[in-house]
Amino acid sequence: MRSTADMAPPSAAAVDTPNVTDPSLYLEGIPHDRFAQIRATPGLAWHPYEDGGFWAVTRHAEVRHVSRNPELFSSAIGHTNLWDLEADALEARRSLIDTDAPDHTRLRRLVAGAFTPKNIRRWEETVRAITGELLDEFVAQGGGDWVDMVAAPLPIQVILTMLGVPTDDADYLVELSNYLVEGTGDAQSIPPDAFGNTTELRLLPFNSPASHALFEYGEGMRQQRQNDLRDDLVSHLVQAESDVERMSRNEYRNMFHLLVFAGNETTRTAISHGGMALAAFPDEWQRVLDDPGLIDSAAEEVLRWATPVMHMRRTATTNSELAGTPIAEGDKVVMWYASANRDEAVFEDPFRFDVSRANSNHFAFGGGGPHLCLGAFLARLEVTVLLEEMAKRSICLEQTSEPVRARSNFVHGVLSVGMQPAGGTN
Amino acid sequence: MAGEEMVRVAVDQELCIGAGVCELLEPEVFELDNDIVISSVTGDELLPRARADVVVDRCPSRAIAIVEEEL
Repeated sequence: MRSTADMAPPSAAAVDTPNVTDPSLYLEGIPHDRFAQIRATPGLAWHPYEDGGFWAVTRHAEVRHVSRNPELFSSAIGHTNLWDLEADALEARRSLIDTDAPDHTRLRRLVAGAFTPKNIRRWEETVRAITGELLDEFVAQGGGDWVDMVAAPLPIQVILTMLGVPTDDADYLVELSNYLVEGTGDAQSIPPDAFGNTTELRLLPFNSPASHALFEYGEGMRQQRQNDLRDDLVSHLVQAESDVERMSRNEYRNMFHLLVFAGNETTRTAISHGGMALAAFPDEWQRVLDDPGLIDSAAEEVLRWATPVMHMRRTATTNSELAGTPIAEGDKVVMWYASANRDEAVFEDPFRFDVSRANSNHFAFGGGGPHLCLGAFLARLEVTVLLEEMAKRSICLEQTSEPVRARSNFVHGVLSVGMQPAGGTN
Repeated sequence: MAGEEMVRVAVDQELCIGAGVCELLEPEVFELDNDIVISSVTGDELLPRARADVVVDRCPSRAIAIVEEEL
């Protein structure tokens, strides 16, 4: 840890680091002007946070460095969110996200098989059928809330189908996910004892009583599958959990929690921002309609544009140096993907939504390294199929209301945004 | 292609996390075992150096290496 003497900001530039952590900022969208200011400042910026602070890593090259060197920058120490957890809380909440090798390798391999590019391709027809149904309903209704009608139901129905969870419960699990997003901000709308929770909030992911509800739901699924194994992901996990060398009960519940939350909330965010981008840049969408060969690059651009997860934190395992700035063992180091995905040094004209952008080296799935988003290829499939099915139906979007954004510096969430198919209501 | 240097690649099975990026990039060379979810080199493990460099760089867990042959 930095000693008290070291806690003083290391340079004059750091004093002026603009605040990028206040959750209320994000109600107006990512504070891109502030990130641009930090990117333009040489070295790393020291950003005050609670009683201490962190190194704000905002440029693409340096995010990549931190992400790809897990032996220097740990996921298992402190927490992968901005605030530190007490040791017992970290243990109780530890998921795949908050581990280093060899625990990470062991847990990742338990689920990796379901998410390889080759195996994800088997879900294409399922994804296409769900997407087609949602889009047809959206058009038939003359539009409505894009999040509620398309962005939320598509990924939750797909991940629940993969898990073997009844899709009838999709609405409930989306509701829980929304409460979890609230937990990443500074204002929760539900009391600590919601959903019958009696656990101290600090022991629950995102400090949210909704995590208790999701744990309970996962435990119910575990008990159901225990005596009725099927060809689904929950059965696969239940089998692994029967051998404590492979996975503990606590690891099971955090894995189930992660798969449901990350499997729906992130792609929902990508599709929400994707819809807004297609409405804001109709000429770009017209290019895709004219040339379906642009679908793949358009999907990558949607992912870069959306950056569903805006940062992850690491903790330095040793003294090192980055961008000429010395980093001390124990320092918090925060990778701002939201900034790296607009880095002028990598993306030409980064604030232009360009469906033919050649450089798809974006950090929508993290900055590389072993924590590469488990669901990356599933998310790509969902976004690609969505664009294909929209193109097939010649759907052009018109935005009819301002988005209601999540009060979170972590999840780039959109709670609702009105859309209608161009031409207005039927 | 004439003059293109071919190199041998290998997977460190301790490091592999089963992301399947190698199998996507070079399906003729890498295959994931669906039970243990670990990649291994199958059949012809030779790749042109430029393509080998890409797959080495893209492997998220740095599990793939070019095996430099001793001459």
